Amino acid sequence: MTARLILRAISWLPHVFAIGGALGLALAFWQPRTDWHEWVQYKRGPAQLASMPPSTLAWKQSVLPAQYMQGSCGVCHREDLPQTPRLDHGRQLLVKFNCIGCHRLRDIDRPDMLGPDLTRVGTKVSREWIYKWLKDPRTLTDANGSVTVDGVATDPRMPKFQLSDLELRALSAYLSVQRPKSVGPYSGNPRAGAVTAKGGDAADRGQTRFNQMFCITCHALAVDRGGETTLIGGDIGPELTKVGSKVRPEWLSAWLDNPQGYLQHTRMPQYQWSKQDMYEVTQYILNRLTDPDLMNDVPQLGPPTDDEVHLGQRLFVEKGCAECHVIQGVTPRADFGPDLSAFGMAAGPFVVEMKSARKLSASLHFAKNNAEHVNIEVSQIPRSMINYIQAKITDPASVTPETHMPQFHVSQSDLDDLTTALLSMSGPPLTGGAHDPLTIPRPHSEFHPGGQAGQLYQRYKCYVCHSFKGYGGTLAPDLSFEGSRSKREWLVDFLKNPQTLRPTLTVRMPHFNISDHDATTIADFVSTSLRNPNINPNELDEKEFTPQMAEHGKQLFEVKYECQSCHTIGSSGGYVGPSLNNAGNWLTPAWIRAWLKNPQILIPETIEPRRSFTDDEIRDMTAYLLTLKQVSQAKSTESASAGGGQQ
Amino acid sequence: MKLLLIYGSVLVGCLGLTILGEKAMTRTPCWCWSSNHMLVAKPKPHAKGIELVSYGSYGSEVDWNNPDRILPLDYDQAQGKRIFYQQCVWCHADTTPAGPSNRSNVTPDPPLMNDGAVLNGVSDASLKKTIALGGSAVGKSAMMPAYGMSLNEEEIDDLIAYMRVIAVPEYRKSPDKVNNTARIKP
Repeated sequence: MTARLILRAISWLPHVFAIGGALGLALAFWQPRTDWHEWVQYKRGPAQLASMPPSTLAWKQSVLPAQYMQGSCGVCHREDLPQTPRLDHGRQLLVKFNCIGCHRLRDIDRPDMLGPDLTRVGTKVSREWIYKWLKDPRTLTDANGSVTVDGVATDPRMPKFQLSDLELRALSAYLSVQRPKSVGPYSGNPRAGAVTAKGGDAADRGQTRFNQMFCITCHALAVDRGGETTLIGGDIGPELTKVGSKVRPEWLSAWLDNPQGYLQHTRMPQYQWSKQDMYEVTQYILNRLTDPDLMNDVPQLGPPTDDEVHLGQRLFVEKGCAECHVIQGVTPRADFGPDLSAFGMAAGPFVVEMKSARKLSASLHFAKNNAEHVNIEVSQIPRSMINYIQAKITDPASVTPETHMPQFHVSQSDLDDLTTALLSMSGPPLTGGAHDPLTIPRPHSEFHPGGQAGQLYQRYKCYVCHSFKGYGGTLAPDLSFEGSRSKREWLVDFLKNPQTLRPTLTVRMPHFNISDHDATTIADFVSTSLRNPNINPNELDEKEFTPQMAEHGKQLFEVKYECQSCHTIGSSGGYVGPSLNNAGNWLTPAWIRAWLKNPQILIPETIEPRRSFTDDEIRDMTAYLLTLKQVSQAKSTESASAGGGQQ
Repeated sequence: MKLLLIYGSVLVGCLGLTILGEKAMTRTPCWCWSSNHMLVAKPKPHAKGIELVSYGSYGSEVDWNNPDRILPLDYDQAQGKRIFYQQCVWCHADTTPAGPSNRSNVTPDPPLMNDGAVLNGVSDASLKKTIALGGSAVGKSAMMPAYGMSLNEEEIDDLIAYMRVIAVPEYRKSPDKVNNTARIKP
């Protein structure tokens, strides 16, 4: 009996195995395709966040890894904080890389110009150069094709698009015919031949002028130092190491003569050129800043055909070029890329709204907004928000092969900063006035002086480096209160011959060749309009100070407080602070007094420590500083340079 | 009939098992990935040393003498680093973010910020006094200005915390005071 039962049970075993096996197979198939986290979320029900006050959104999120923790601060703090350098830098990078061209980002506004205006690009570069640039927008590459400058991978702002040879030919053809207005021919200075015969190579003297004008304040040049390429110079303008192989000579001289004539929103100031300077500097750029091997891998393209131009025009819009670059008659598509303004915390892992279990295997847990969904089977990256962002920036095709997103080359630390800033994107600005909208400072001007000074302000682009009343660049000192600080005569001298007060800086004010009349106009404007309301430069008379006070002030300066540890007087002293050799001609007495009392009130970010001087000590040190005067050097150097030019 | 019953019982058994398994999985998801896999970014397989070490810390600083050694910083220490690079780096380091160091212009030479041999022997309280009141207040050179009105107490504490992290040789909480004070420069 038992034996029969066992036999009968055994006869059922194949069925049991079949059913169990089928279920097991289904489970094995289903499991790796299921996001368990979503499943857990689904079991708990949708996160109810809509009714909560927005400021507590971050509290519900899982804490970010410590490295990106500053992203949480950015959810509420829309202004830059000193404690969050990574977030602040990430926001600047979002601006620098023109993410706003395709994506919506919280609190970042679209400026007048993102990439260069290409309306007349055909007059600037050749078709071959456009081909090379679009194929790989980098010029500073070593033998392996990698870019490493100062030990950090670096790149121009233009990202790399994945373009086929056909697309490259079409786009280069289309762009090379963009020349609605041609540029006059490049003419060598007729007298230049004679000058060259007398005074050596024009390019050599051009190099000297290039250095004297301090072009490297904004433009970097690559220098090979012990096998490693080092960039020397600023990053306000493009790096110029190989620009001589890029631009056409006639375009270069037209550009230097009047940059705004070519690009309306350029940041390049308009210098006052003498004919000879123009010839020598263009000769230097065209002959020395070159690379004969630059175009080696570019095929011969020949004149563009109509078909190519037509295809190029279509691709220009389809590939999203029009999002950053303007060409007359081409309208960009609205919202080319996904809206990222709520990409970060608000769309974090816990805020997924799930309607049905069918979604489980379809999408990733973080894709709440219309960011592209990741195809799990293709994706090679670990499934986390942070890895997704980083893969998307550095190699978008690894996430979604059919993406329009170009590839950005950023160093790992920059990538982390960008990620932090993206994680702080928490939706559109709040209405109701509780928060000030974040303004990521772009070096553009909301401060518009009028009249003649206003024209000069636009011409010399003072706001690119200096800031005025909260607007402008951060490279050079804030000039909002310059009228209270500097004496008018000193300003005129300085504008005509900018001598740095900090001898160790490699970045200096460019030499614009400002005329006497222009310098006086600017100095008048600065000393009347840019004043600190609490400091009237005329409220202290220098005659109030006696030599006894100055003598005591010198004692205090040199012995009691040892200010020479940071400031240079004569030929000795430190160079943390500015040299005070010419303080008597430079600074107004009222400014010195207010500065010694509390420097941070005048310039909040200054590193000069606030001290507890008594009023008498302040008076005596002011008296001492006012005695420090140098004979005006402007005239002597001016005559020297004039003499140098004639040799 | 029997056939249906057995099929039914097998089905129920399997369902029960999956539900049980699912419950278990909400705690430890499955063999594919661990529960925190999706929330915490993992270092990429080819990550370099700097990423691995700085990972999970608020900030990091490279050992001044040994670029391969990365020191993780917590929040306070990272704030100290920020203040150091604003205020102190000009005289207390051999390289600065902007040009040459001012250290050679100052006599006597200020100690390097990571010079553990000198600074480990000085107590926190004494360092705090030097920073807040200046060198002259503790009988040292007046070349060290007073920062008591520019930095608040918390910032000075952060600065000291940063100094302790980067110290070479490493700083230990209770140093042998008798031996170390002998090495402090006058």
